[in-house]
Amino acid sequence: MYSDLAYLIVGLPVLAFVLCLFIGRHLPRGGGFLTALATFGSLIISLGIFTETYPSGIVHQSMLWFDNFDIGILIDPLALVMLLMVTFVVTLIHTYANGYMNGDPGADRYFAEAALFTAAMLGLIYSDNLLQLFIFWELVGLCSYLLIGFWYRKPSAAAAAKKAFLTTRVGDVMFLAAIILLYNNLASLNIVLKPGEYLLQFPVIYAHLTQIPPAQLTLIALGLLGGAVGKSGQFPLHVWLPDAMEGPTTVSAMIHAATMVTAGVYLVARMFPLFYAAPYGLTAVAAVGAFTALFAATMGLTAFDIKRVLAFSTVSQLGFMMAGLGTGAAVGAMAVGVAMFHLIGHSFFKALLFLCAGSVIHAVNTNDMREMGGVGKYMKWTMYTMLIGSLSLAGFPLFTGFFSKDEIIVIAYEYGVAINFLPYIFLVLAAVLTAIYTFRMWFTVFTGKERSDYGKHESPSIMIIPLVILAIFAFGFGLAAQGGFYTYLDSNFEHYDVNFNELAAIGGHATEEPKLAGEPATEPSASEAGEGSEAESEAEPAEPWYIQILPIIVALGGILIASLFYFDKVKKFDPSQVTGEKDPLRKLLLKGYYQHEIMTAWFSETIVYGTALICNMIDIKLVDGWLNWFSSVVMGFAQNVRKVQSGVVQNYITALVLGVVVLVVVITMAKEVGLI
Amino acid sequence: MIPLELYILLASIMFTIGLYGLVTQKNGVKLMMCIELLLNSANINLVAFSAYQPNVNGQVFALFSIALAAAEAGVGFAIMIALYRLYGTIDLDTIKAMRW
Repeated sequence: MYSDLAYLIVGLPVLAFVLCLFIGRHLPRGGGFLTALATFGSLIISLGIFTETYPSGIVHQSMLWFDNFDIGILIDPLALVMLLMVTFVVTLIHTYANGYMNGDPGADRYFAEAALFTAAMLGLIYSDNLLQLFIFWELVGLCSYLLIGFWYRKPSAAAAAKKAFLTTRVGDVMFLAAIILLYNNLASLNIVLKPGEYLLQFPVIYAHLTQIPPAQLTLIALGLLGGAVGKSGQFPLHVWLPDAMEGPTTVSAMIHAATMVTAGVYLVARMFPLFYAAPYGLTAVAAVGAFTALFAATMGLTAFDIKRVLAFSTVSQLGFMMAGLGTGAAVGAMAVGVAMFHLIGHSFFKALLFLCAGSVIHAVNTNDMREMGGVGKYMKWTMYTMLIGSLSLAGFPLFTGFFSKDEIIVIAYEYGVAINFLPYIFLVLAAVLTAIYTFRMWFTVFTGKERSDYGKHESPSIMIIPLVILAIFAFGFGLAAQGGFYTYLDSNFEHYDVNFNELAAIGGHATEEPKLAGEPATEPSASEAGEGSEAESEAEPAEPWYIQILPIIVALGGILIASLFYFDKVKKFDPSQVTGEKDPLRKLLLKGYYQHEIMTAWFSETIVYGTALICNMIDIKLVDGWLNWFSSVVMGFAQNVRKVQSGVVQNYITALVLGVVVLVVVITMAKEVGLI
Repeated sequence: MIPLELYILLASIMFTIGLYGLVTQKNGVKLMMCIELLLNSANINLVAFSAYQPNVNGQVFALFSIALAAAEAGVGFAIMIALYRLYGTIDLDTIKAMRW
C-alpha cells in the first residue's frame, strides 16, 4: 500500500514548494509548517515502505519517458536508509527553521527553496536510472545555489553561492561525460531489453558491467568520482563547502548533514559495482577520501568561525566515507554498508552540531568563537546537546560516531594489509585531529568567561526540541542499529544480477586479495546475506587487538589533548593574542594552505582569467575582426552603388540612351572589323 | 517625290530633340511635350514607310498611336494638375516624396 504512494515522497515537498512560493507570504511564518509537514509526510511514507519491504524486498516502478529512457522509482535497502535519514533529519531541520527563520522577511522564499531542495534530494535518492539521478543532482545544485545565496544582498553570500555553483559544476561536467560514456558502451552492446527495462537503469547497468571494456569502466568510474568529488566537497573541489556557511545556519545543516554533500557518497555507493569492476576505480576513491579526511581536519584546527569548523569537519568526515567506500577494493561490497553507516550516523550528529551552532549564533549574533565563551551558563540545553554531538563526532565509545568511524578505520586496516597502508595512517591521524578540533570548539564556546556582550538567553523550544531528538539519535543510533544495519545493507546488491566475483576479476581485486573480496560472492547468490555478514564477522577477529581498540585510544587521546590545550586556556583567553599570524604553521592552517591564494587569486585570476583575456582578444581582433572588415567592405561598396538608384527618371533615360549609343557604336565597329 | 531619306531624317531630328528635352528638362509639361515629339517622330516613320511600300498597315498603326498619345496626354496632364495642387509647382526635382 505504501509503495503505491512512493511518488508522494517527492510529490509532497514539491507541493509544499509550490504552495510556499505562491501563497507563503500570506501564511504565518512564511508557510514553514507546510514544508515541515510535507517532509514529515514523506518520512511516514518512507517508514511505511520500510515496514513493508523489510528485511528483503525492493520497490521498483518505472514508465517510459522517451526512447531508451524511463522515469522510475527504485527503493532498495541503500535508497531506503537514505530516504529515512533525509526525511527524518530534514523534518527536524525544517521544524527548527520555523523558529530560526521567524521574522526574516524572505521566510516564504526560504521555505519554498528548502522544500524544493528536499524534493530534489529525495528524487535523487530513489531515481531508478542514472539520467534521472543526474537531473535531480543538478536540481540539488541549483537549490544549494539559491539557499547559500539566500541573503543575496550580502556580497559575500552572493559570491559564496556563485562559488558553490561553479565548483560543483566542474564535477557535474565529468559526471555527465561519464553518463554519456556509459550510455555509449551500453548502447553498443545491443542488449535485448525486457519490457520494463531501459538502458541506464541501475539493474541493467549492474547486469552488463562485465561486458564493458575495463579501460572504459575506469574512465566512467573516474568521471563519476569527479561528480562525487564536486558534490561531496572532496579535495580538490572542496573549496565551496566552507564558504557555503554564508547561508542561514539551517541551510548549512541541511547541506552538510542530510542532503547535497551526501549525494556524492551516495552516488559512489549506488555505482559501487561499477567502481569495483573498474581497475583503479576504488583506489582513486580511497586516495581522494583519505587525503581529504586529513587535509580538512588540519584546517578545522585553526578556524575561528564556529560554522567553518563544522564545515571542515564535514569535509573531513565525507573523506572518511569516501575512504570507507574505497576500501571496498579489499573488503568487497560490505564497504558500502560501512560507509553508509557512517553517512547516516554523521548526518545525525552533524545536523545536531549545526543546529546547536545555529542556536548559539541566534543568541550571540556572531559566528566568531573568539567573541563567545561561557555560553554554557545561559544555554544549558544547547550546551549538553552539543556535547553529545561533539562526543559522537569525536568517536567517544558507545556514541554513534564511535561505531561508524571505528568500522571505517578497521576496514582501512584490512585495505592496508591487502593493498596499501597510507589510507589507514591518514584516517587515524584525521581521527585524532577530529577529536581535537571538535573539543577545541566546544570548550571555546561553552566554557570560560564571556568575551563579549551578547544576548544571554536560551533559544525557543521549537528550536530546542529538534536538538533533543537529534541528540538522542546521535547517541543511540550507532548502538541500536549497528548489527542490523550492516546485514540489511549487505543484502542490497543481491536484488540485482551482479556477480562480484566476476567484477573482482575485471577490477583486478581477486588476484590481489582473494581471502576477503571474493569470498562472499563465490557461493551462488542463494544465501548471500548470511555469507556476507559471516565473512564480515570472521574477518574482524583477524585484526590484532590493538587495531580494534586503537580508535578508542585515538578518540580519548584527542579529547584529552583538546582539554589540556583549551579547557584551561579559555579561562584566561585573550582574543587579541590568539590571532596566530606569527606562528608559520598556524598561519598556514588558518589560511587553509593558501588555497584561496592558489586557486582563486593565482589559478583563477591569473591563469584562467589571463587565458580568457587572450582568447577574448583573439576572438575580437581575429575572428570578429575579419568578419567586421569583410562586412564593412561590402557595406561601403553598397553605400556607393545605391546612389545609382536615384529615383530620377531622367537619369534612367540618360543611362538608357547612352547604353543604346554604346551598343550601336560597338555593333557598328564589330561589323566594320568583320566580327559579325 | 520626296526621297524617303528626308522623312527619316526629319523623324530622327524630331526624336533627338524629344529625347534631349526628356533628359534635360525639369518642367513636367515640357516633358509631356517631349514625349509627344518622340511619339510623332515614330508616326512620321510609320506613315512614310507605309506610303513607299503600298501597304496601309503603317498608317493604321499611326492612327492607333495618335489615339494612344491623346489618352496619354489626358492622363499625364491630369497628374500634372494634381501635382500642382499638392505642391504648387510642377518642377519634378522638387517633388521627391517617394525617392531620396
